[in-house]
Amino acid sequence: MLLSYLKIAWKVLMRRKFFTFISLFGVSFTLMILLVVMAMFDHLVGPGAPAKRIDRMLFVNTIRHEMVDNHGWMNMPASIHFVDDYVRKMKTPELVGISSGISNATAFTKSKLLPLDVAYTDGNFWQIMDFDFLGGRAFSKAEVQQAQRVCVINEATARSYFGSTDVVGRPIEIDLKRYRVAGVVRNVSAARIYAYADVWLPYTLSANYFKDNRLNGEFLPVLLAPSAAAVPAMREEYRQMMRRVEIPNPKEVKAVFSYADPILASFTRALLNHQDQTVDDDNIGAFYLIVGGLALLFMLLPALNLVNLNVTRILERSGEIGVRKAFGATGGNLVGQFLVENVVLALVGGLLGLGLAAGALALVNEAHPVAYAHFVLSWRVFGWGMLLTFIFGLMSGVYPAWKMSRLNPVAALRGSGDQK
Amino acid sequence: MLRHLFTLIWNRKRANLLLISEVFFSFVVLFGVGAVLITAAKNYLAPHGFNYEQVWRLEVRAGQNLKMPRAELDDVLRQVKALPGVRTVALTSGNTPFIFNTNNSVFEYEGKKSPQANVYDADDHYGEAMQLHLREGRWFAPSDDGSNHRPVVISQDLRESMFGNGPALGKIFTWENPGKGPAKPEDEFLVTGVVDAVRMESDFSAAIPSVWKRLIPYDTTHWETANVLVRVAPGSGGELQEKIARTVAGVTRQWTSQVRVMDNERLHRRLYTLVPVVGLCIMGLFLIINVALGLFGVLWYNISQRRAEIGLRRAMGATGAGIGWQFLGEMMVVTTFGVLLGTLLAAQFPLLNAFDLPAQPYLLAIGAAAAAVYFITALCAWQPSRLAAAIQPAVALREE
Repeated sequence: MLLSYLKIAWKVLMRRKFFTFISLFGVSFTLMILLVVMAMFDHLVGPGAPAKRIDRMLFVNTIRHEMVDNHGWMNMPASIHFVDDYVRKMKTPELVGISSGISNATAFTKSKLLPLDVAYTDGNFWQIMDFDFLGGRAFSKAEVQQAQRVCVINEATARSYFGSTDVVGRPIEIDLKRYRVAGVVRNVSAARIYAYADVWLPYTLSANYFKDNRLNGEFLPVLLAPSAAAVPAMREEYRQMMRRVEIPNPKEVKAVFSYADPILASFTRALLNHQDQTVDDDNIGAFYLIVGGLALLFMLLPALNLVNLNVTRILERSGEIGVRKAFGATGGNLVGQFLVENVVLALVGGLLGLGLAAGALALVNEAHPVAYAHFVLSWRVFGWGMLLTFIFGLMSGVYPAWKMSRLNPVAALRGSGDQK
Repeated sequence: MLRHLFTLIWNRKRANLLLISEVFFSFVVLFGVGAVLITAAKNYLAPHGFNYEQVWRLEVRAGQNLKMPRAELDDVLRQVKALPGVRTVALTSGNTPFIFNTNNSVFEYEGKKSPQANVYDADDHYGEAMQLHLREGRWFAPSDDGSNHRPVVISQDLRESMFGNGPALGKIFTWENPGKGPAKPEDEFLVTGVVDAVRMESDFSAAIPSVWKRLIPYDTTHWETANVLVRVAPGSGGELQEKIARTVAGVTRQWTSQVRVMDNERLHRRLYTLVPVVGLCIMGLFLIINVALGLFGVLWYNISQRRAEIGLRRAMGATGAGIGWQFLGEMMVVTTFGVLLGTLLAAQFPLLNAFDLPAQPYLLAIGAAAAAVYFITALCAWQPSRLAAAIQPAVALREE
């Protein structure tokens, strides 16, 4: 049965090439755009070097200080005191690493200025993230504690500063200070904001390494759980831990809030922030709702277009429908047949869209919108794409199919196309 | 004639409802893209109000747990200024143009509140370094040292909102809600000059009212970071940048410095608008092509379904051109329904003052979207209408 439906679908596709082209154009371009957006999203929050074990990681973006007397909020990353005395004392995490946000620095090469993005990290950071080392190694815990002037640089920096990547042990002058290159890593995309930098330095050299007991600083803790299943427990322990945090300046700060979130939740919490910042809600549900709504809205216009075309084209097949109805096919049979046809069309369009998306991503990668970012279609994105295509096929098929099933066989057979 | 068209459309209301909703969504998409494009283009064409070419941003940072005494900083600036190729050096606050760093506040003059205004610190050379265009009064000068209040220069748009048409020079305004007790002299701002409106955020942002507060020379404050604008001779490059960095390091090894070219920062900043806008345009374009192809297909098909009707009308004496106009007219009426619905929705934006934008770009966008939708549907209806006009009555009626 299904086979004969598929055969008919193919015949119908081939019958009027112009209409087939219009339908396929709509489906494939809609999917191309959705797939490109999804590939970018996946690049931002999905696993990939160096954050390969991202499903086991939790990130801490800010410590929110609620000031006394409604003097507003101060939201800043964590201090070393907070990391050492609270986060590192937690029991569930396998490892706790830190990195700072990006700060700017300069190196000079043969009278050319080389702007660099510098991040300060500890030794654990290198064990949590899986960097691809082209040469050398990361700096160790001991080197960090002794504040040795060592650094890890990325491939691009090595090439523009030294002209080669085989530079382990050589000195590099950044902001007119000399560091020894401990290792060279493959370039990290700037979209992976927790891992990206051109140059990594020990945090003990940072200008924001304050030794007092303030909670706010410039460091972003990353917590690695022993397994993905242990992540919720780790999140809960962080929550419990926050209740015990001692506020160093209670005259100015009423309360502090901070959360350890998986990567996507860490973005949505900041992005869709509540007016009342004391609310503990990572907004991930709201995020999915908004994104899903936007995607549906975006698919609505092409779907409407396809509905229009299909409704019109039913008349072309009134003879066929009349015969089938006269021989006892029920409305349900016809709806099923038409839906199969439409889903086949959508799937063909989806495959085309996949090819177009690969081409579009190649163009985007060529243009380098984000430093060192390389967007690719993963199997996950492919699966989502096929699911979306399927939804699209159903969306644009249901109404015409219902309409077709209600065609009066007598009128249809007479060929007048009257739809009463 | 029009009445007849409405009857025809009513008879096929189901099919036309789908067409109307398609036109409606197309209009909404075109309106959205149009509003973004018109706003961006309008801002892009307005003058910046200052000259960003040949200006560098020098950032000097004190080391770990250190602060910079002003006297030492002034020494650094003197040495940088003495370098060949450096024209002017001006000390300012961290919110220099084209970077993601803003500092804004609301001010008050005789109970009248200003809109959110950008607040900059500026020394006596700032006006010269940025080449701001003075409309009234003068820039700060050493003669302001004796002033009892904080001298400020304001932008023209802030002047208009706070002082209207009255005089502004010599007037004193304060922060919003100055607080209890007598105001401190440094919180009372004495207008010494008015400059043209400036657009310092990005190439595509609108002008924002601005206030420049005078930095008092030779004070005793200590700084963690100092931001300096350096105007250089045309053609200066990396060599001078390195010389500046080494000059700063020569005074004290504890401090670090960075030199950035403001024009590069402008180009970098505008990508943040350009990339989303281009993406939006590509999406909009694709949707419209899609709709146009679909409409064309539907109309073409409708014509072949209505051959009998056309044949009958031709036999009764209607001309080919008349038939063509009928189909074009039907489509125009359907489009009008879609556009009206869309306008109802779009009109809410200027009415509700959405996104705090002026009404003019919205109205322009409504006009542009309506024109585009009519153009597209007319284009799609034209070829099928011609086909309809070419139908021979004898052939069409024989089929029946």
